[in-house]
Amino acid sequence: MKEYITIIGGGLAGTEAAYQIAKAGIPVKLYEMKPKKYTPAHHSSELAEVVCSNSFKSNLLTNACGLLKEELRKLDSLLIRIADETKVPAGQALAVDREEFSQRVTEEIKNNPLIEIVSEEVGKGLPTTLSDLIKESITIVATGPLTSDPLAEEIAELTRAK
Amino acid sequence: MYFYDAAAPIVTKESIDFSVAFYGDRYSQEKKKEETMEEWKKRLAGEEPSYINLPMDQEEYETFWKALVEAEVVTLHEFEKKEIFEGCMPIEVMAKRGMDTLRFGPLKPMGFDDPRTGKRPYAVVQLRQDDKQAELYNLVGFQTNLKFGEQKRVFQLIPGLGQGDFVKYGVMHRNTYLNSPELLTETYQLKSNPNLYFAGQLTGVEGYVESISSGMVVALNTIAYYQSQKQRIDYLPITFSAYTMIGSLAKYISTPNHKFQPMNANFGILPEWEGKKIRDKKERYQKLAERSLKHLFFVPEGKK
Ligand SMILES: Cc1cc2nc3c(=O)[nH]c(=O)nc-3n(C[C@H](O)[C@H](O)[C@H](O)COP(=O)(O)OP(=O)(O)OC[C@H]3O[C@@H](n4cnc5c(N)ncnc54)[C@H](O)[C@@H]3O)c2cc1C
Ligand SMILES: Cc1cc2nc3c(=O)[nH]c(=O)nc-3n(C[C@H](O)[C@H](O)[C@H](O)COP(=O)(O)OP(=O)(O)OC[C@H]3O[C@@H](n4cnc5c(N)ncnc54)[C@H](O)[C@@H]3O)c2cc1C
Repeated sequence: MKEYITIIGGGLAGTEAAYQIAKAGIPVKLYEMKPKKYTPAHHSSELAEVVCSNSFKSNLLTNACGLLKEELRKLDSLLIRIADETKVPAGQALAVDREEFSQRVTEEIKNNPLIEIVSEEVGKGLPTTLSDLIKESITIVATGPLTSDPLAEEIAELTRAK
Repeated sequence: MYFYDAAAPIVTKESIDFSVAFYGDRYSQEKKKEETMEEWKKRLAGEEPSYINLPMDQEEYETFWKALVEAEVVTLHEFEKKEIFEGCMPIEVMAKRGMDTLRFGPLKPMGFDDPRTGKRPYAVVQLRQDDKQAELYNLVGFQTNLKFGEQKRVFQLIPGLGQGDFVKYGVMHRNTYLNSPELLTETYQLKSNPNLYFAGQLTGVEGYVESISSGMVVALNTIAYYQSQKQRIDYLPITFSAYTMIGSLAKYISTPNHKFQPMNANFGILPEWEGKKIRDKKERYQKLAERSLKHLFFVPEGKK
Protein backbone atom coordinates (compact mmCIF):
# COMPACT_ATOMS: atom_id res chain seq x y z
CA MET A 1 0.00 0.00 0.00
CA LYS A 2 1.21 3.47 -0.91
CA GLU A 3 1.76 6.00 1.85
CA TYR A 4 -0.94 8.45 0.80
CA ILE A 5 -4.67 8.65 0.31
CA THR A 6 -6.09 9.26 -3.16
CA ILE A 7 -9.10 11.51 -3.75
CA ILE A 8 -10.84 11.79 -7.11
CA GLY A 9 -12.79 15.04 -7.58
CA GLY A 10 -11.84 18.45 -6.18
CA GLY A 11 -15.39 19.66 -5.54
CA LEU A 12 -17.00 20.48 -2.22
CA ALA A 13 -16.64 17.03 -0.64
CA GLY A 14 -13.22 16.27 -2.14
CA THR A 15 -11.52 19.48 -0.99
CA GLU A 16 -12.94 19.21 2.53
CA ALA A 17 -11.66 15.63 2.75
CA ALA A 18 -8.24 16.59 1.34
CA TYR A 19 -7.83 19.33 3.93
CA GLN A 20 -8.83 17.10 6.87
CA ILE A 21 -6.57 14.22 5.81
CA ALA A 22 -3.58 16.51 5.30
CA LYS A 23 -4.31 18.04 8.69
CA ALA A 24 -3.81 14.57 10.18
CA GLY A 25 -0.35 14.50 8.58
CA ILE A 26 -1.18 12.05 5.78
CA PRO A 27 -0.23 12.95 2.18
CA VAL A 28 -3.06 13.30 -0.34
CA LYS A 29 -3.09 12.85 -4.10
CA LEU A 30 -6.06 14.77 -5.49
CA TYR A 31 -7.23 14.03 -9.05
CA GLU A 32 -9.32 16.77 -10.66
CA MET A 33 -10.16 16.76 -14.36
CA LYS A 34 -10.62 20.54 -14.58
CA PRO A 35 -9.34 22.65 -16.31
CA LYS A 36 -8.80 20.01 -19.04
CA LYS A 37 -12.39 18.84 -19.01
CA TYR A 38 -15.57 20.37 -17.61
CA THR A 39 -18.95 18.94 -16.67
CA PRO A 40 -21.94 20.78 -18.21
CA ALA A 41 -22.40 22.74 -14.93
CA HIS A 42 -18.79 23.55 -14.05
CA HIS A 43 -17.21 26.56 -15.78
CA SER A 44 -14.45 27.84 -13.51
CA SER A 45 -10.94 26.39 -13.27
CA GLU A 46 -10.97 26.69 -9.47
CA LEU A 47 -11.61 23.84 -7.04
CA ALA A 48 -14.78 23.71 -4.90
CA GLU A 49 -16.92 25.41 -7.52
CA VAL A 50 -20.40 26.43 -6.38
CA VAL A 51 -22.40 25.42 -9.44
CA CYS A 52 -25.89 26.81 -8.91
CA SER A 53 -27.42 28.95 -6.20
CA ASN A 54 -24.85 30.83 -4.08
CA SER A 55 -26.78 30.03 -0.92
CA PHE A 56 -25.63 27.45 1.64
CA LYS A 57 -29.14 27.77 3.12
CA SER A 58 -30.21 28.90 6.56
CA ASN A 59 -27.80 29.68 9.35
CA LEU A 60 -30.40 29.22 12.09
CA LEU A 61 -30.01 26.28 14.46
CA THR A 62 -33.74 25.65 14.11
CA ASN A 63 -33.11 24.84 10.45
CA ALA A 64 -31.64 21.40 9.73
CA CYS A 65 -29.05 22.72 7.34
CA GLY A 66 -28.17 25.46 9.83
CA LEU A 67 -27.58 22.80 12.47
CA LEU A 68 -25.42 20.79 10.07
CA LYS A 69 -23.30 23.87 9.39
CA GLU A 70 -22.87 24.47 13.12
CA GLU A 71 -21.75 20.85 13.62
CA LEU A 72 -19.25 21.27 10.81
CA ARG A 73 -17.94 24.51 12.33
CA LYS A 74 -17.28 22.68 15.56
CA LEU A 75 -15.48 19.94 13.62
CA ASP A 76 -13.23 22.59 12.02
CA SER A 77 -14.58 22.33 8.49
CA LEU A 78 -12.42 24.30 6.05
CA LEU A 79 -15.25 24.98 3.60
CA ILE A 80 -17.77 26.25 6.14
CA ARG A 81 -15.09 28.50 7.62
CA ILE A 82 -14.34 29.96 4.21
CA ALA A 83 -18.08 30.26 3.46
CA ASP A 84 -18.44 32.27 6.68
CA GLU A 85 -15.55 34.47 5.61
CA THR A 86 -16.85 35.13 2.10
CA LYS A 87 -20.54 35.59 2.88
CA VAL A 88 -22.81 38.16 1.28
CA PRO A 89 -26.00 39.56 2.89
CA ALA A 90 -28.90 37.11 2.54
CA GLY A 91 -31.09 37.47 5.61
CA GLN A 92 -30.91 34.32 7.73
CA ALA A 93 -29.21 32.36 5.00
CA LEU A 94 -25.48 31.87 4.49
CA ALA A 95 -24.87 32.96 0.90
CA VAL A 96 -21.36 33.36 -0.48
CA ASP A 97 -19.49 35.27 -3.13
CA ARG A 98 -18.95 32.20 -5.28
CA GLU A 99 -15.75 33.40 -7.00
CA GLU A 100 -14.05 34.40 -3.78
CA PHE A 101 -15.21 31.23 -2.04
CA SER A 102 -13.68 28.93 -4.66
CA GLN A 103 -10.51 30.97 -4.94
CA ARG A 104 -9.94 30.83 -1.20
CA VAL A 105 -10.48 27.06 -1.04
CA THR A 106 -8.21 26.53 -4.06
CA GLU A 107 -5.40 28.58 -2.48
CA GLU A 108 -5.72 26.65 0.76
CA ILE A 109 -5.45 23.29 -1.05
CA LYS A 110 -2.73 24.33 -3.50
CA ASN A 111 -0.53 25.79 -0.78
CA ASN A 112 -0.76 22.70 1.40
CA PRO A 113 2.58 20.87 1.11
CA LEU A 114 0.95 17.49 1.84
CA ILE A 115 -1.54 17.76 -1.04
CA GLU A 116 -0.53 17.01 -4.61
CA ILE A 117 -3.03 18.01 -7.30
CA VAL A 118 -3.09 15.87 -10.44
CA SER A 119 -5.03 17.54 -13.28
CA GLU A 120 -6.30 14.36 -14.84
CA GLU A 121 -9.60 12.68 -15.50
CA VAL A 122 -9.93 9.19 -14.01
CA GLY A 123 -12.04 6.44 -15.51
CA LYS A 124 -12.43 3.43 -17.73
CA GLY A 125 -10.16 3.44 -20.77
CA LEU A 126 -8.16 6.46 -19.51
CA PRO A 127 -4.46 6.41 -18.51
CA THR A 128 -5.53 6.28 -14.84
CA THR A 129 -8.41 4.02 -13.91
CA LEU A 130 -10.18 3.68 -10.59
CA SER A 131 -9.36 -0.05 -10.46
CA ASP A 132 -5.64 0.78 -10.64
CA LEU A 133 -5.90 3.40 -7.94
CA ILE A 134 -7.69 1.22 -5.39
CA LYS A 135 -4.99 -1.46 -5.76
CA GLU A 136 -2.41 1.07 -4.67
CA SER A 137 -3.99 3.23 -2.02
CA ILE A 138 -7.07 3.99 -0.01
CA THR A 139 -9.23 5.93 -2.46
CA ILE A 140 -12.13 8.36 -2.10
CA VAL A 141 -14.39 9.02 -5.06
CA ALA A 142 -15.99 12.48 -4.76
CA THR A 143 -16.78 13.30 -8.36
CA GLY A 144 -20.27 14.61 -7.72
CA PRO A 145 -23.62 14.53 -9.49
CA LEU A 146 -21.98 15.10 -12.87
CA THR A 147 -19.31 12.42 -12.61
CA SER A 148 -17.79 12.06 -16.08
CA ASP A 149 -18.98 9.13 -18.17
CA PRO A 150 -15.80 6.99 -18.16
CA LEU A 151 -15.74 7.05 -14.38
CA ALA A 152 -19.49 6.58 -13.97
CA GLU A 153 -19.16 3.52 -16.14
CA GLU A 154 -16.27 2.16 -14.13
CA ILE A 155 -18.06 2.76 -10.82
CA ALA A 156 -21.14 0.99 -12.16
CA GLU A 157 -19.00 -2.04 -13.08
CA LEU A 158 -17.07 -2.05 -9.81
CA THR A 159 -20.16 -1.83 -7.65
CA ARG A 160 -22.04 -4.42 -9.66
CA ALA A 161 -19.28 -7.00 -9.19
CA LYS A 162 -19.72 -8.32 -5.68
CA MET B 1 -29.24 6.02 -11.53
CA TYR B 2 -29.68 9.30 -13.40
CA PHE B 3 -32.02 12.23 -12.96
CA TYR B 4 -32.07 15.97 -13.47
CA ASP B 5 -31.33 19.03 -11.35
CA ALA B 6 -32.39 22.53 -12.30
CA ALA B 7 -30.61 25.89 -11.87
CA ALA B 8 -32.16 29.39 -11.72
CA PRO B 9 -31.36 32.34 -14.01
CA ILE B 10 -29.33 35.35 -12.85
CA VAL B 11 -29.97 39.04 -13.71
CA THR B 12 -27.86 42.16 -13.20
CA LYS B 13 -29.07 44.58 -10.54
CA GLU B 14 -28.48 47.44 -12.93
CA SER B 15 -31.21 46.18 -15.21
CA ILE B 16 -33.87 45.96 -12.49
CA ASP B 17 -36.52 48.71 -12.37
CA PHE B 18 -36.46 50.03 -8.81
CA SER B 19 -39.61 52.05 -9.25
CA VAL B 20 -41.24 48.63 -8.93
CA ALA B 21 -38.72 46.55 -6.99
CA PHE B 22 -38.09 46.89 -3.26
CA TYR B 23 -35.67 45.42 -0.74
CA GLY B 24 -36.89 43.30 2.12
CA ASP B 25 -36.88 40.08 3.98
CA ARG B 26 -40.07 38.05 4.27
CA TYR B 27 -39.86 38.17 8.05
CA SER B 28 -39.22 41.86 8.60
CA GLN B 29 -40.61 43.72 5.63
CA GLU B 30 -44.29 43.60 6.52
CA LYS B 31 -45.88 46.83 7.71
CA LYS B 32 -46.76 46.57 11.40
CA LYS B 33 -50.31 47.52 12.35
CA GLU B 34 -49.21 50.34 14.61
CA GLU B 35 -46.81 51.80 12.03
CA THR B 36 -47.73 54.73 9.80
CA MET B 37 -46.63 54.60 6.15
CA GLU B 38 -43.86 57.06 6.97
CA GLU B 39 -42.54 55.15 9.98
CA TRP B 40 -42.63 51.92 8.03
CA LYS B 41 -40.72 53.33 5.06
CA LYS B 42 -38.15 54.82 7.41
CA ARG B 43 -37.66 51.48 9.16
CA LEU B 44 -37.24 49.68 5.84
CA ALA B 45 -34.71 52.25 4.64
CA GLY B 46 -32.61 51.56 7.75
CA GLU B 47 -32.44 47.81 7.20
CA GLU B 48 -29.60 45.91 5.59
CA PRO B 49 -30.61 45.29 1.98
CA SER B 50 -31.17 41.57 1.47
CA TYR B 51 -33.70 40.20 -1.00
CA ILE B 52 -35.04 42.27 -3.88
CA ASN B 53 -38.77 41.77 -4.27
CA LEU B 54 -40.91 42.20 -7.34
CA PRO B 55 -44.61 42.57 -6.54
CA MET B 56 -47.33 41.60 -9.01
CA ASP B 57 -51.02 42.40 -9.18
CA GLN B 58 -53.52 39.80 -10.31
CA GLU B 59 -53.49 40.81 -13.96
CA GLU B 60 -49.70 40.86 -14.17
CA TYR B 61 -49.52 37.50 -12.46
CA GLU B 62 -52.02 35.87 -14.77
CA THR B 63 -50.29 37.20 -17.88
CA PHE B 64 -46.97 35.87 -16.60
CA TRP B 65 -48.43 32.52 -15.61
CA LYS B 66 -50.03 32.02 -19.00
CA ALA B 67 -46.80 32.80 -20.84
CA LEU B 68 -44.86 30.49 -18.52
CA VAL B 69 -47.03 27.42 -18.98
CA GLU B 70 -47.13 27.92 -22.75
CA ALA B 71 -43.40 28.55 -23.18
CA GLU B 72 -41.20 26.12 -25.10
CA VAL B 73 -39.00 23.82 -23.07
CA VAL B 74 -35.79 22.00 -24.00
CA THR B 75 -36.56 18.46 -25.16
CA LEU B 76 -35.26 15.94 -22.67
CA HIS B 77 -33.96 12.51 -23.54
CA GLU B 78 -36.11 9.59 -22.52
CA PHE B 79 -33.84 8.61 -19.62
CA GLU B 80 -33.78 12.19 -18.36
CA LYS B 81 -37.54 12.40 -18.02
CA LYS B 82 -37.81 9.62 -15.49
CA GLU B 83 -37.32 11.65 -12.38
CA ILE B 84 -37.52 15.32 -11.68
CA PHE B 85 -35.90 16.37 -8.47
CA GLU B 86 -38.74 17.36 -6.14
CA GLY B 87 -36.79 19.88 -4.07
CA CYS B 88 -35.62 21.66 -7.20
CA MET B 89 -38.69 21.36 -9.44
CA PRO B 90 -38.61 23.46 -12.62
CA ILE B 91 -40.84 26.51 -12.22
CA GLU B 92 -42.83 25.73 -15.36
CA VAL B 93 -43.60 22.22 -14.10
CA MET B 94 -44.85 23.65 -10.83
CA ALA B 95 -46.86 26.32 -12.69
CA LYS B 96 -48.58 23.67 -14.77
CA ARG B 97 -50.07 22.14 -11.66
CA GLY B 98 -52.50 25.03 -11.39
CA MET B 99 -52.93 28.73 -11.82
CA ASP B 100 -52.33 29.45 -8.13
CA THR B 101 -49.66 26.88 -7.31
CA LEU B 102 -46.81 29.40 -7.64
CA ARG B 103 -48.61 31.82 -5.34
CA PHE B 104 -48.41 29.18 -2.63
CA GLY B 105 -44.82 28.32 -3.55
CA PRO B 106 -41.89 30.53 -4.56
CA LEU B 107 -44.14 33.51 -5.43
CA LYS B 108 -45.93 33.49 -2.10
CA PRO B 109 -46.79 37.11 -1.15
CA MET B 110 -46.81 36.26 2.57
CA GLY B 111 -44.91 38.69 4.79
CA PHE B 112 -44.67 41.44 2.17
CA ASP B 113 -46.44 44.71 1.66
CA ASP B 114 -45.86 46.84 -1.40
CA PRO B 115 -44.10 50.03 -0.23
CA ARG B 116 -45.91 51.99 -2.92
CA THR B 117 -49.32 51.16 -1.53
CA GLY B 118 -48.85 49.50 1.85
CA LYS B 119 -51.01 46.66 0.55
CA ARG B 120 -50.35 42.96 0.16
CA PRO B 121 -49.34 42.16 -3.47
CA TYR B 122 -51.04 39.31 -5.35
CA ALA B 123 -47.70 37.54 -5.83
CA VAL B 124 -44.02 38.35 -5.21
CA VAL B 125 -40.93 37.21 -7.09
CA GLN B 126 -37.81 37.25 -4.92
CA LEU B 127 -34.27 37.89 -6.11
CA ARG B 128 -31.31 36.81 -4.01
CA GLN B 129 -27.89 38.43 -4.08
CA ASP B 130 -25.44 36.25 -5.97
CA ASP B 131 -22.06 38.02 -5.73
CA LYS B 132 -20.24 40.10 -3.15
CA GLN B 133 -20.47 43.30 -5.19
CA ALA B 134 -24.26 42.90 -5.24
CA GLU B 135 -24.35 43.28 -8.99
CA LEU B 136 -25.95 39.92 -9.72
CA TYR B 137 -29.21 38.49 -8.42
CA ASN B 138 -30.75 35.07 -8.92
CA LEU B 139 -34.49 34.45 -9.25
CA VAL B 140 -35.36 32.41 -6.19
CA GLY B 141 -37.11 29.17 -7.10
CA PHE B 142 -36.83 29.74 -10.85
CA GLN B 143 -34.90 26.61 -11.76
CA THR B 144 -36.08 25.94 -15.26
CA ASN B 145 -35.93 23.90 -18.36
CA LEU B 146 -37.27 26.65 -20.65
CA LYS B 147 -35.25 27.38 -23.77
CA PHE B 148 -32.95 30.33 -23.26
CA GLY B 149 -34.79 32.61 -25.70
CA GLU B 150 -38.06 31.77 -23.96
CA GLN B 151 -36.58 32.48 -20.53
CA LYS B 152 -35.75 35.99 -21.63
CA ARG B 153 -39.19 36.58 -23.15
CA VAL B 154 -41.20 35.12 -20.26
CA PHE B 155 -39.16 36.40 -17.32
CA GLN B 156 -39.12 39.91 -18.75
CA LEU B 157 -42.90 39.89 -18.20
CA ILE B 158 -42.20 40.02 -14.46
CA PRO B 159 -42.77 43.62 -13.30
CA GLY B 160 -39.37 45.26 -12.72
CA LEU B 161 -37.58 42.90 -15.11
CA GLY B 162 -38.89 44.44 -18.33
CA GLN B 163 -35.32 45.38 -19.27
CA GLY B 164 -33.86 42.47 -17.30
CA ASP B 165 -30.36 41.55 -18.41
CA PHE B 166 -29.94 37.79 -17.91
CA VAL B 167 -26.27 36.99 -17.50
CA LYS B 168 -26.98 33.35 -16.91
CA TYR B 169 -29.98 31.27 -17.86
CA GLY B 170 -31.49 28.44 -15.92
CA VAL B 171 -30.42 24.97 -17.06
CA MET B 172 -31.20 21.33 -16.43
CA HIS B 173 -28.48 18.89 -15.53
CA ARG B 174 -27.89 15.24 -14.97
CA ASN B 175 -27.46 14.01 -11.43
CA THR B 176 -25.69 10.72 -10.79
CA TYR B 177 -25.85 8.86 -7.50
CA LEU B 178 -25.27 5.40 -6.10
CA ASN B 179 -27.69 2.96 -4.57
CA SER B 180 -25.90 3.62 -1.29
CA PRO B 181 -28.14 1.63 1.09
CA GLU B 182 -27.09 -1.49 -0.76
CA LEU B 183 -23.48 -0.57 -1.45
CA LEU B 184 -22.09 1.58 1.36
CA THR B 185 -21.52 1.31 5.10
CA GLU B 186 -22.34 4.10 7.55
CA THR B 187 -18.84 5.47 6.97
CA TYR B 188 -19.38 5.75 3.18
CA GLN B 189 -17.05 2.77 2.62
CA LEU B 190 -17.82 0.32 -0.18
CA LYS B 191 -18.95 -2.93 1.46
CA SER B 192 -17.34 -5.05 -1.24
CA ASN B 193 -13.97 -3.27 -1.22
CA PRO B 194 -12.78 -1.58 1.98
CA ASN B 195 -10.14 0.40 0.08
CA LEU B 196 -12.82 2.42 -1.67
CA TYR B 197 -14.85 5.23 -0.11
CA PHE B 198 -17.36 7.62 -1.69
CA ALA B 199 -18.10 11.21 -0.67
CA GLY B 200 -20.41 14.02 -1.76
CA GLN B 201 -23.55 14.06 -3.82
CA LEU B 202 -22.59 10.79 -5.49
CA THR B 203 -23.56 9.00 -2.27
CA GLY B 204 -27.11 10.35 -2.28
CA VAL B 205 -26.63 13.16 0.20
CA GLU B 206 -28.15 16.20 -1.46
CA GLY B 207 -26.81 19.75 -1.25
CA TYR B 208 -23.64 21.74 -0.76
CA VAL B 209 -23.42 21.49 3.02
CA GLU B 210 -24.50 17.86 3.01
CA SER B 211 -21.73 17.07 0.50
CA ILE B 212 -19.20 18.81 2.71
CA SER B 213 -20.44 16.87 5.73
CA SER B 214 -19.90 13.53 3.98
CA GLY B 215 -16.39 14.69 2.99
CA MET B 216 -15.72 15.26 6.68
CA VAL B 217 -16.94 11.81 7.76
CA VAL B 218 -15.01 10.09 4.98
CA ALA B 219 -11.82 11.99 5.82
CA LEU B 220 -11.94 10.97 9.49
CA ASN B 221 -12.56 7.36 8.49
CA THR B 222 -9.89 7.10 5.83
CA ILE B 223 -7.44 8.55 8.36
CA ALA B 224 -8.44 5.88 10.88
CA TYR B 225 -8.32 3.16 8.23
CA TYR B 226 -4.92 4.31 6.98
CA GLN B 227 -3.46 4.35 10.49
CA SER B 228 -4.89 0.91 11.26
CA GLN B 229 -3.33 -0.56 8.10
CA LYS B 230 -0.01 1.04 8.83
CA GLN B 231 0.12 0.00 12.46
CA ARG B 232 -1.55 -3.35 11.82
CA ILE B 233 -4.31 -2.75 14.32
CA ASP B 234 -8.08 -3.08 14.00
CA TYR B 235 -9.97 -0.39 12.12
CA LEU B 236 -12.56 1.21 14.35
CA PRO B 237 -15.01 3.06 12.13
CA ILE B 238 -15.77 6.62 13.22
CA THR B 239 -19.47 7.38 13.26
CA PHE B 240 -21.31 10.32 14.75
CA SER B 241 -24.27 9.91 17.07
CA ALA B 242 -27.64 9.46 15.37
CA TYR B 243 -28.70 12.55 17.34
CA THR B 244 -26.43 14.67 15.11
CA MET B 245 -27.33 15.77 11.59
CA ILE B 246 -23.94 14.67 10.24
CA GLY B 247 -24.39 11.22 11.80
CA SER B 248 -28.02 10.87 10.75
CA LEU B 249 -27.30 11.67 7.12
CA ALA B 250 -24.60 9.00 6.98
CA LYS B 251 -26.99 6.57 8.59
CA TYR B 252 -29.80 7.51 6.25
CA ILE B 253 -27.92 6.86 3.03
CA SER B 254 -26.60 3.52 4.30
CA THR B 255 -29.86 2.15 5.69
CA PRO B 256 -32.00 -0.14 3.50
CA ASN B 257 -34.85 1.82 2.05
CA HIS B 258 -37.47 0.59 -0.40
CA LYS B 259 -37.21 3.62 -2.67
CA PHE B 260 -33.92 5.35 -2.06
CA GLN B 261 -33.95 9.07 -2.87
CA PRO B 262 -31.21 11.63 -2.33
CA MET B 263 -31.59 13.34 1.02
CA ASN B 264 -31.17 16.88 2.31
CA ALA B 265 -30.46 17.60 5.95
CA ASN B 266 -33.82 17.64 7.76
CA PHE B 267 -35.12 17.12 11.27
CA GLY B 268 -37.21 14.18 10.13
CA ILE B 269 -34.14 11.92 10.02
CA LEU B 270 -33.20 12.55 13.68
CA PRO B 271 -34.63 10.38 16.47
CA GLU B 272 -37.70 11.96 18.08
CA TRP B 273 -37.46 14.16 21.13
CA GLU B 274 -37.66 11.89 24.18
CA GLY B 275 -39.04 14.37 26.66
CA LYS B 276 -42.48 15.88 26.93
CA LYS B 277 -44.08 16.54 23.57
CA ILE B 278 -43.24 19.99 22.23
CA ARG B 279 -45.95 21.34 19.98
CA ASP B 280 -44.19 24.44 18.73
CA LYS B 281 -42.01 23.41 15.80
CA LYS B 282 -39.35 26.03 16.34
CA GLU B 283 -39.04 25.20 20.00
CA ARG B 284 -38.82 21.48 19.20
CA TYR B 285 -36.14 22.03 16.57
CA GLN B 286 -34.20 24.18 19.00
CA LYS B 287 -34.22 21.29 21.51
CA LEU B 288 -33.20 18.78 18.85
CA ALA B 289 -30.37 21.07 17.78
CA GLU B 290 -29.10 21.48 21.33
CA ARG B 291 -29.28 17.71 21.83
CA SER B 292 -27.29 17.19 18.64
CA LEU B 293 -24.50 19.58 19.58
CA LYS B 294 -24.26 17.91 23.00
CA HIS B 295 -23.67 14.54 21.32
CA LEU B 296 -21.31 15.69 18.60
CA PHE B 297 -18.14 14.61 20.36
CA PHE B 298 -19.72 11.72 22.23
CA VAL B 299 -17.82 8.48 21.68
CA PRO B 300 -19.93 5.34 22.22
CA GLU B 301 -18.67 2.75 24.75
CA GLY B 302 -16.18 0.29 23.31
CA LYS B 303 -15.12 2.64 20.54
CA LYS B 304 -12.67 4.67 22.57
C1 LIG C 1 -26.71 22.11 -11.74
C2 LIG C 1 -26.68 21.80 -10.30
C3 LIG C 1 -27.21 22.69 -9.41
C4 LIG C 1 -27.14 22.45 -8.04
N1 LIG C 1 -27.64 23.38 -7.20
C5 LIG C 1 -27.54 23.22 -5.88
C6 LIG C 1 -27.99 24.24 -5.00
O1 LIG C 1 -28.47 25.28 -5.44
N2 LIG C 1 -27.87 24.05 -3.68
C7 LIG C 1 -27.33 22.92 -3.18
O2 LIG C 1 -27.23 22.81 -1.96
N3 LIG C 1 -26.90 21.92 -3.98
C8 LIG C 1 -26.99 22.04 -5.32
N4 LIG C 1 -26.58 21.04 -6.16
C9 LIG C 1 -26.18 19.73 -5.62
C10 LIG C 1 -24.80 19.56 -4.97
O3 LIG C 1 -24.83 20.14 -3.70
C11 LIG C 1 -23.64 20.13 -5.72
O4 LIG C 1 -23.58 19.51 -6.95
C12 LIG C 1 -22.29 19.92 -4.97
O5 LIG C 1 -21.30 20.62 -5.64
C13 LIG C 1 -21.89 18.47 -4.84
O6 LIG C 1 -20.62 18.36 -4.26
P1 LIG C 1 -19.64 17.18 -4.65
O7 LIG C 1 -18.39 17.42 -3.90
O8 LIG C 1 -20.32 15.90 -4.48
O9 LIG C 1 -19.39 17.35 -6.22
P2 LIG C 1 -18.79 18.57 -7.07
O10 LIG C 1 -18.73 19.79 -6.24
O11 LIG C 1 -19.56 18.59 -8.33
O12 LIG C 1 -17.31 18.13 -7.37
C14 LIG C 1 -16.97 17.07 -8.23
C15 LIG C 1 -15.64 17.37 -8.89
O13 LIG C 1 -15.16 16.20 -9.53
C16 LIG C 1 -14.66 16.50 -10.81
N5 LIG C 1 -14.76 15.28 -11.63
C17 LIG C 1 -15.88 14.71 -12.15
N6 LIG C 1 -15.58 13.57 -12.80
C18 LIG C 1 -14.23 13.40 -12.70
C19 LIG C 1 -13.32 12.41 -13.15
N7 LIG C 1 -13.73 11.35 -13.85
N8 LIG C 1 -11.99 12.55 -12.87
C20 LIG C 1 -11.56 13.62 -12.16
N9 LIG C 1 -12.38 14.59 -11.69
C21 LIG C 1 -13.71 14.48 -11.96
C22 LIG C 1 -15.48 17.67 -11.27
O14 LIG C 1 -14.80 18.44 -12.22
C23 LIG C 1 -15.72 18.44 -9.96
O15 LIG C 1 -14.74 19.41 -9.73
C24 LIG C 1 -26.59 21.25 -7.55
C25 LIG C 1 -26.08 20.35 -8.45
C26 LIG C 1 -26.11 20.60 -9.82
C27 LIG C 1 -25.54 19.63 -10.77
C1 LIG D 1 -25.63 23.02 -20.35
C2 LIG D 1 -25.56 24.34 -21.09
C3 LIG D 1 -25.30 25.49 -20.37
C4 LIG D 1 -25.25 26.73 -21.03
N1 LIG D 1 -25.05 27.80 -20.26
C5 LIG D 1 -25.13 29.02 -20.83
C6 LIG D 1 -25.03 30.17 -20.04
O1 LIG D 1 -24.85 30.08 -18.82
N2 LIG D 1 -25.14 31.38 -20.64
C7 LIG D 1 -25.35 31.50 -21.99
O2 LIG D 1 -25.48 32.62 -22.47
N3 LIG D 1 -25.42 30.42 -22.77
C8 LIG D 1 -25.32 29.20 -22.25
N4 LIG D 1 -25.41 28.11 -23.05
C9 LIG D 1 -25.56 28.32 -24.53
C10 LIG D 1 -27.03 28.27 -24.97
O3 LIG D 1 -27.29 26.93 -25.26
C11 LIG D 1 -27.49 29.05 -26.23
O4 LIG D 1 -26.66 28.70 -27.29
C12 LIG D 1 -27.50 30.56 -26.14
O5 LIG D 1 -27.87 31.02 -24.88
C13 LIG D 1 -28.48 31.14 -27.16
O6 LIG D 1 -29.84 30.85 -26.79
P1 LIG D 1 -31.08 30.91 -27.77
O7 LIG D 1 -32.19 31.49 -27.03
O8 LIG D 1 -30.65 31.56 -29.04
O9 LIG D 1 -31.35 29.40 -28.14
P2 LIG D 1 -32.40 28.36 -27.56
O10 LIG D 1 -33.26 27.97 -28.70
O11 LIG D 1 -33.06 28.86 -26.35
O12 LIG D 1 -31.48 27.16 -27.18
C14 LIG D 1 -30.55 26.59 -28.05
C15 LIG D 1 -30.05 25.32 -27.44
O13 LIG D 1 -29.54 25.62 -26.15
C16 LIG D 1 -29.73 24.57 -25.26
N5 LIG D 1 -30.55 25.02 -24.12
C17 LIG D 1 -31.40 26.06 -24.07
N6 LIG D 1 -31.96 26.17 -22.89
C18 LIG D 1 -31.46 25.18 -22.14
C19 LIG D 1 -31.66 24.76 -20.79
N7 LIG D 1 -32.51 25.39 -19.97
N8 LIG D 1 -30.97 23.69 -20.36
C20 LIG D 1 -30.10 23.04 -21.17
N9 LIG D 1 -29.86 23.40 -22.44
C21 LIG D 1 -30.54 24.44 -22.92
C22 LIG D 1 -30.47 23.49 -26.01
O14 LIG D 1 -29.53 22.52 -26.43
C23 LIG D 1 -31.09 24.24 -27.17
O15 LIG D 1 -31.31 23.39 -28.26
C24 LIG D 1 -25.45 26.83 -22.43
C25 LIG D 1 -25.70 25.67 -23.13
C26 LIG D 1 -25.78 24.44 -22.48
C27 LIG D 1 -26.09 23.19 -23.28
